[in-house]
Amino acid sequence: MKTASERYAALVRLVESRTVTRATPALLLPAGPYFDLAGEEFGRNLLLTTTNNGLEYCLRPDFTLPIAQQYLEDGLIGAPAAFTYLGPIFRQQNSTPVEFEQAGLELLGQADADNALDQVLTFARWALAIYDITAPSVRLGGVGLFEAFLEAAEIPVAWRSRIRHRFGHPEALERLMERLSNPEQKVDAPAPDSRDTVIEIVTDAMLSGGLSLIGSRTPEEIADRYLEKQALESAPIPPETVALLQNYLSVAESTDTAFERISEMCKEAGFDFDEPLYQVRNHAAALAALSPNADVIFDASFSPRLDYYTGIVFEMTGSDGEVLASGGEYDRMLERLGAGEPVKASGCALWVDRLEREAEQ
Amino acid sequence: MSTLPGGLTLAIPSKGRLEELTRKAFSTARMNIARPGGARSYVGSIKNQPQVTVRFYPAAEIARELILGGVDIGVTGSDLIHEASENGEENVLFVRGLGFGEANVVVAIPDSWIDVQQMTDLADVASDFRSRHGRWLRVATKYVNLTRRHFAKYGIAEYRIVESAGATESAPAAGSADLIVDITSTGSTLAANQLRVLEDGLIMKSEANLIVSRTADWTPLRKAQLEALLSIMGGVPPGISTLL
Repeated sequence: MKTASERYAALVRLVESRTVTRATPALLLPAGPYFDLAGEEFGRNLLLTTTNNGLEYCLRPDFTLPIAQQYLEDGLIGAPAAFTYLGPIFRQQNSTPVEFEQAGLELLGQADADNALDQVLTFARWALAIYDITAPSVRLGGVGLFEAFLEAAEIPVAWRSRIRHRFGHPEALERLMERLSNPEQKVDAPAPDSRDTVIEIVTDAMLSGGLSLIGSRTPEEIADRYLEKQALESAPIPPETVALLQNYLSVAESTDTAFERISEMCKEAGFDFDEPLYQVRNHAAALAALSPNADVIFDASFSPRLDYYTGIVFEMTGSDGEVLASGGEYDRMLERLGAGEPVKASGCALWVDRLEREAEQ
Repeated sequence: MSTLPGGLTLAIPSKGRLEELTRKAFSTARMNIARPGGARSYVGSIKNQPQVTVRFYPAAEIARELILGGVDIGVTGSDLIHEASENGEENVLFVRGLGFGEANVVVAIPDSWIDVQQMTDLADVASDFRSRHGRWLRVATKYVNLTRRHFAKYGIAEYRIVESAGATESAPAAGSADLIVDITSTGSTLAANQLRVLEDGLIMKSEANLIVSRTADWTPLRKAQLEALLSIMGGVPPGISTLL
């Protein structure tokens, strides 16, 4: 039997293995980038402190952001890098401050993204093994796959972005699906206004409200969305496409069955979706090879609620359903931080306290 | 304070119409609140109720004190309890509404946003606002917690809150925010600023409430004193203290 300190020492060895660089970002970080990257919803979990001149700092709430920022500042874009970390992070939950121990891996700018993701899965797998967890429940999700699906199902572009932006938020997505399956019946469809007329009306309204025409939403932007809404209402998504979409989102079963079901439903709808599925299938197979006892499911509606995730995402849970490891591909994160273009990135974070609890059970 | 074997602390809004109407509500129940020293004094008493110490606080502070158990009973807006802490309502007991200080906390947008009627529209606007304007959609409010909860419910994550202490309704015209979450009683201030409440933009209805702290130290003696005080107030079924 290993002791807790032996397990921790093994984790340190994993994090400090020869092929990776262990990063140690500061404990106290500027809060602005977190709000910029993740918005108000993540921001509410930060433990904030303010300097006398009003600048906000936070206790390190995660490692990914400072590591990615350092990578950018060091001018490493385009160069493959592998960072690991281990240390405390701080958040608040229900207004109570909580300190967690977190470990993880970040692979940035790797040439072979598929290989990188498999390395991330391997890393998570090894970390779990240190804590004698050989049969975790694994949930895979496909952000890129969903985007490909929306395109393949020929959902109108305007609806596509509306649907995509609600992906990962079950309640909001369900409300949208309801809206799609019961489109508002317009009693009398007004003749479509000309764009110029609408712009003029909006401009007048903005000026009389004392609003700047350039500081916030512009009259053109408002008019275009208004006309787009009119167009969408007059051309709703066909009911069979909505049904297909709902059917796709309801897929949550063991990987082989799930991919088979998706492939079948697409064939029935008249398009071939095997090519996009191929990549997800491969990662699922790699995962199955890594941990034959794991219970791996593909959940088509699963996505972290952060819009910089791009490809495959995963989480591993223990016996009591708590998330032990989570991660995936997030090629848009470095772009969001100012890289100018998407940069291949994948990684995972491990909740060390939960792993230890699991080991003690 | 709660270290005393007996005695109750009652917190009353320290100024304005809320103070006036609260004192009126108590005097209707034949409990005249004395404030020796006038508006500059922060301690008072109730005639014939020597066990009650009255403290005068700003309304938002009353909400915080009730949640933390610093006072036993208080009068403040229910919106302020919900705003003071993410789980503020779990730490207090709303005894009854007092029929004044009614106001709604609402999401209001510039009237010229003719393409936005509901929160779902706002979610669309928020989602690509950053790529269009290079910054997050900004919401001016003093109700940070209420706003975060309401927006999260509608799946809106892509925005920033601009904290606003006063004159929130002028923020869109001043250019410091794109829309607001604010309190309104008649809607006339919003209309004057050409702002419009979203169809599903009502976050909560609020009114002045008589509120008991759950986190105060409730000894049997103090519970009995609370029951006695509430029965004089009237309109409250007996047995409230058994819920503490």
